Amino acid sequence: MPKKIDGSKITILSSEQYEAVKKCLGELYSKTKANAVLFADIAGQLIGERGDTSHINTTVLAALAAADFSATAEMAKLVGEEARFKLLFHEGEKNNVYLTNVGDEYFLIIIFQSNVALGMVRVYTKKAVEALDKIIKEGGSSKTVTDIIDDDFGELLANELDSSFKE
Amino acid sequence: MYINWALQQINLKIVYYGPGVSGKTTNLLYIHSKVAPELKGELVSLQTQEDRTIFFDFLQLEVGKIKGKKPKFNLYTVPGQVYYAYSRKVILNGVDGVVFVADSQFDRLEANLETLNDLENNLKQDGHKMDEFPWVIQYNKRDLPNVAPIPYLQLKLNKYNVPYFEAVANKGIGVFETLKAVINLVVANVRKKL
Repeated sequence: MPKKIDGSKITILSSEQYEAVKKCLGELYSKTKANAVLFADIAGQLIGERGDTSHINTTVLAALAAADFSATAEMAKLVGEEARFKLLFHEGEKNNVYLTNVGDEYFLIIIFQSNVALGMVRVYTKKAVEALDKIIKEGGSSKTVTDIIDDDFGELLANELDSSFKE
Repeated sequence: MYINWALQQINLKIVYYGPGVSGKTTNLLYIHSKVAPELKGELVSLQTQEDRTIFFDFLQLEVGKIKGKKPKFNLYTVPGQVYYAYSRKVILNGVDGVVFVADSQFDRLEANLETLNDLENNLKQDGHKMDEFPWVIQYNKRDLPNVAPIPYLQLKLNKYNVPYFEAVANKGIGVFETLKAVINLVVANVRKKL
């Protein structure tokens, strides 16, 4: 999927892929008894979420987690690990956060209470990672960037920016 | 750039890059203070006790729908200090456009050059070319007494001839102008490369 234009990646997630991602997150959420499950890309952009996220700023969480994940990838390189670390685990008093990569471009965030067995989370997450990787790699959108960013999009956006962002 | 077709969402990542204390966070603070509440998220700052950015600042902005599409802009700053080189590299992951916030003061020229060089190296590693990548320069702190003249800064810093803006970020001068320019450049770049 990720299409390369002058080094810049443009990822288009089709409606079918998005539905499949949501279904997969829903299954992971119910099987692991997690509080919430988030799927994001390494740029920090949230793609999908399931669970009780009403009290969590998931946009910010995805941005922080992406930085966290990328930072440990650099850490892995520094200690001579060839691949990136596959998972990150943050243990709290009441809540735990488990991060794991999905291919090179995406990752999962699982937030669960500390009384949930980590082993169970690991097992179901591993299955979800394989499923999500497949959805992303095989789904492929039939839409192109021109379907969204067409001829007058730039001008309309410029006008919208002018009215929203005033000195 | 990440597009969710089902939700008609377009997500762009813009990074404010520049030497320490050049005013990157100040740009975000001003934007956050002026944008209508329904169009902005929380401003997250990971700072030291001395208010220096230790990892990054983050702010998500939206504008109204454009033909049913919802553009969202994720703005980040990087820490400017030399020893945070790795943090800067991490934040550049998946970047769509860059604002280089230069400190206009004469005695910060070396720091500007060093950070610009660092930006170029990091972007190169990610497969970007400085002469094709969408980025702009903001010459900040124009109200200070010991600033270098614009032609001089242009000569020293703008060898790729990208759009540049004069700014006094703590007063909001040039802040939105810079942001609008980089966003428009990102979109124009997508169209240009088709």
